[in-house]
Amino acid sequence: MLLVQLIINGVQVGALYGLTAVGFSLIFGATKIFHFAHGASFAISAYVFYYLYAVLNLGWPISILACSIAVVLFGVTLDRYVYVPIQRSNGSFFTVFVASFGVAVVIQNLIGTVFGRGFISVSSALSKSVEVAPGLYVAPTAGIAIVIAAACFVALQLFLGRTNIGIALRALSESPALVRTFGLNPKAISTCAFALGSLLVVPAAVLTSMTSGLNAAIGGRVMLISIAATIVGGVGSLRGAACAGLLLGVAENLAVWRFDPQWSEAVTFIILFTFIVLRPSGFFGRVVTS
Amino acid sequence: MLAYVANLATLICINAILAVTLNFIMGYAGIFSLAHAVFFGVGAYVAALMALQWTDSLLLQLAFAMTVSGLLSAALALPALRVRGDYFVAASLGFQVLAVTVFSEWKSVTGGIGGLVGIPPATIAGHAFVNPMEFLGLAAVALALVVLLTRTLVRSSFGRSLKAIRDSESAALAFGKNVALIKTLSVFYSSAMCATAGVLYADYLSFINVESFTIDASTLFMAMVIVGGIGTVWGPLVGAVLLTLLPAVLTYLPFLPQTEIGSVQQMVYGLAMVLLMIFKPDGLMGIKQGEA
Repeated sequence: MLLVQLIINGVQVGALYGLTAVGFSLIFGATKIFHFAHGASFAISAYVFYYLYAVLNLGWPISILACSIAVVLFGVTLDRYVYVPIQRSNGSFFTVFVASFGVAVVIQNLIGTVFGRGFISVSSALSKSVEVAPGLYVAPTAGIAIVIAAACFVALQLFLGRTNIGIALRALSESPALVRTFGLNPKAISTCAFALGSLLVVPAAVLTSMTSGLNAAIGGRVMLISIAATIVGGVGSLRGAACAGLLLGVAENLAVWRFDPQWSEAVTFIILFTFIVLRPSGFFGRVVTS
Repeated sequence: MLAYVANLATLICINAILAVTLNFIMGYAGIFSLAHAVFFGVGAYVAALMALQWTDSLLLQLAFAMTVSGLLSAALALPALRVRGDYFVAASLGFQVLAVTVFSEWKSVTGGIGGLVGIPPATIAGHAFVNPMEFLGLAAVALALVVLLTRTLVRSSFGRSLKAIRDSESAALAFGKNVALIKTLSVFYSSAMCATAGVLYADYLSFINVESFTIDASTLFMAMVIVGGIGTVWGPLVGAVLLTLLPAVLTYLPFLPQTEIGSVQQMVYGLAMVLLMIFKPDGLMGIKQGEA
């Protein structure tokens, strides 16, 4: 029964990891920007939600709307005022990475200073577990997480496959030069990628604040998992990122079955490490070792 | 006051060793490691364990710490041989997180969160370095040796091969360079040298715990290299001086609560990294593109 419980927990966590990772993968695939501050987006959205919903009692629709706006603004501003100027002068991977990393460090400490470094969580009737079978506890959030993650993923696939902006986004990841030739503006499309990618962290951030809780360092953790899922899944493959996120969530929880819970994070990195050394292109990716 | 300055100067020396060794792989080999604090920690733990249970001889501690750290560097060299850029950063980050888990959970060896306390002062040929001024001298000599050795290495044919690999791996390969061997050796050198800083740190403070070897520390070392100027001789030294002095300067600002100094410090260098990348990507001591 413990095993079933762990798998259910794993799927719930994994669905949220998958969603965050898809956001990162979307941005990285389309713009080639290693958006290290994606974890900061997650933290911003989670803390804005916490503040509006649990501290100011504004009700969930307004809180979710406000934290979506905040996170999209953050992503787009970062693209416009940090990444674009850097890429104009010196487009090397390293410069962009360092800047993004710097932003993540600033945000993490800002949140720590404003909200404190301890654990906080949003209490909600949805996160109360119900005993569905002897010894098996499931909270409504588990179902919500899985349904929302699946819905977002399907919606994203439809968007990328059916709409003009979606197709332009995919085109940008293939060849920015060709996008320009066709009279589209790569800058506008990349803004769109940032808006969309950042938006995808909102459901995960809100649900995480209700289930496992938040602390100031959560951005870093989320970032690590998103990167790990993107690489394990194969860069450029959203399907891969989603599957890998799910896999990491389940693996992390199954680890508790045999090891102390402190080691569950280590499991993620053993998986990542194995993939990097043995199969750098991931599940579905193309080879990118150069 | 003198003791205060000596303390800062000693920490600057230790941080400078870390920055110089990190700059060696970042600036010349193009390996952007976010796991430098791991080797710092390994050096410190090896020295502390030896001092507590076996010998207080500094030279023996150095030899062992460098060997262990160097061997462990294979864990970093392995992904470095397979992938570059973003992927390697991710791998090194993973390694760092893993190492912190080991440092805090392997309680019988590392003392867990409580760390190792009461590390006896180090000795060379029976002379114990108890006086802080003497220890400062020791740290300064160590720093000078590391800088000198690294500089010599960078200017040798090995260093030129390294830069060739950084700029174009396939071109270096085409010229018959053994890319895998050169990369592995450079990571080995950097990690082994980094361990000396760990040994000095453990012997100096006589107390270590996992807090000093976390991802925050790795970030700080990377910030030192970047702020100072990556791939330059003086850059990491300048970066180490500035970022070590930063918390000391911040304590003089009366409106800052003491508990927030760590955060403010990180915010300052985070912001410095962002602004530098936008306006001066080569760092404070950076050379213009093309001159290098």
